[in-house]
Amino acid sequence: MRNEDKKTIEDSRIPLLVADHLVYEYETGSANTVRALDDVSFTIYPGEFIGLIGHTGSGKSTLAETLNALLTPKSGSIYFKGEDVFTKGYDRKKLRSHVGLVFQYPEHQLFEETVFKDVCYGPKNIGMSRKQAELTAYETIKKVGLPDECFYHSPFDLSGGQRRRVAIAGVLAMKPELLVLDEPTAGLDPKGREEILDMIAGLKNEDNMSIVLVSHSMEDVARYADRIMVMDKGKKLFDDVPSEVFAHADELEKIGLAAPAVVSVMHRLKEAGIPVDDRMALTTDEAVSEIMKAFGV
Amino acid sequence: MSLIDIDKLTFEYIRRDEEGGVEGITTAVDDVSLKVHAGEFIAILGANGSGKSTLAKHINAMLLPTEGQVTVEGMDTTDEGLQLKIRKTAGMVFQNPDNQIIGQVVEEDVGFGPENLGVPTEKIIERVKKSLKAVGMYEYRKKDPGRLSGGQKQRVSIASVIAMHPKCIVFDEPTAMLDPGGRKEVIETAKQLNKEGITIILITHYMEEVTEADKVFVMSKGKVAMTGTPREVFSRVPELKELRLTVPEVTDLAWKLKEAGLDIPDGILTEDELVRSIKKEYSIRKN
Repeated sequence: MRNEDKKTIEDSRIPLLVADHLVYEYETGSANTVRALDDVSFTIYPGEFIGLIGHTGSGKSTLAETLNALLTPKSGSIYFKGEDVFTKGYDRKKLRSHVGLVFQYPEHQLFEETVFKDVCYGPKNIGMSRKQAELTAYETIKKVGLPDECFYHSPFDLSGGQRRRVAIAGVLAMKPELLVLDEPTAGLDPKGREEILDMIAGLKNEDNMSIVLVSHSMEDVARYADRIMVMDKGKKLFDDVPSEVFAHADELEKIGLAAPAVVSVMHRLKEAGIPVDDRMALTTDEAVSEIMKAFGV
Repeated sequence: MSLIDIDKLTFEYIRRDEEGGVEGITTAVDDVSLKVHAGEFIAILGANGSGKSTLAKHINAMLLPTEGQVTVEGMDTTDEGLQLKIRKTAGMVFQNPDNQIIGQVVEEDVGFGPENLGVPTEKIIERVKKSLKAVGMYEYRKKDPGRLSGGQKQRVSIASVIAMHPKCIVFDEPTAMLDPGGRKEVIETAKQLNKEGITIILITHYMEEVTEADKVFVMSKGKVAMTGTPREVFSRVPELKELRLTVPEVTDLAWKLKEAGLDIPDGILTEDELVRSIKKEYSIRKN
């Protein structure tokens, strides 16, 4: 949904999570103080797919870990369904099942003997009965697209892409409403990247799950996200629909990011006098239809 | 004579179950022959599990052939007496920057290799200086490597390899864990070293990084499935997709436009080329 009415639709919805003036510092008080989050505020609505972009050290991973209260901000707070998660007595363990966090290289955290046991671990840990946990694990393993014969394999016998799916399934089995993934495609081959991202997009489309995808890849984010947040030096620099964010190509370049090649090509075609709407095309398929329209085909 | 000669290389490893019993044999590299000449910039592409890293590890004798032969400057990698010399000739840079740095200070880390080779101290100092300058990290020589960015750490790793005076550097997915800025730093460094005469073998999943290579090898299931210049290889879009790979976004757009009926040449690699051919086609059609 990339239309202009989007904001007004959102505003009538009930926010899932509100980040309110988050400030986070590493090594507070020392000479090396780093403000990893510097007054960051935003709202996440149900069913949104948000791309969180920034170079290394921009604060995006810190932000991801603050969303499920793994890190406690110096000031500011997170409201999940209207409740301040940093107040005394708030059940943060439960929050972690609602806000699922998939770390970088999550397959390094697999430890059980079989895929099935590994995926059961999370739901059991949050207090589901054994039967319920196993049922959920079964559904989830199916959902991430692993074949049946994998169930009783050791996770270590699977390919890299499959192991990553198992790790993501482990988080999904806790039935989160918001799924935060930190670079879920790092190290995978192009097809593996596409498969994981399609699977994540399916969670949004079929289960109305909210997604925060932390990524370095503008191309990936352009293809999947409804909205992009760009972080730089702990601050939120942009927060808008992809076409609006990519219109700031020069500023993105200055902070070590780049708009997708397609966006840049379309921009140059428009400047050359070819009647394309450069804001309508973020992916190669969209660019093809926009260019063919200009050719009158 | 080629710098690296891989001749009918096959590498098998034995899979074992929990009790250590043999479950089966996996052929990670299957009868691969390829030659790399001094001064070339070679890229190796391939899906996860295609055997490209296994192949690379044979070049500096980290793995030894099950069958076939690998020679580096005529030195057979199975000759134990030559392995140190081989590793000096063909250095390696790996994926994870954090696993390759051991020193507490940048210059100490870079000096470790030559020191290990028995290079005299004053020569080490000279080598460290030159290597750090070559990767643009000289001003960070007194820093703690732990405080550097991923791209900077990788450049220190590269400097550590350069300090051993290699003729060839094998990069095994050096940018997989880096952001776009860090990726650019590392790839630009590799290209610069190539200009200075060092042979580069770059293994990667990022198609954009290989557009300037002299030659591209595509691995699939342990075999070389395609060989050619980047333009030749990236002209074969459907085949690459079949092999779980893709082409640079610009190439993909050009290919799709051609499929849609525009007269666009195959294997377009840069934005300039694409914009130029669309403009040309547009002016022909509109006149």
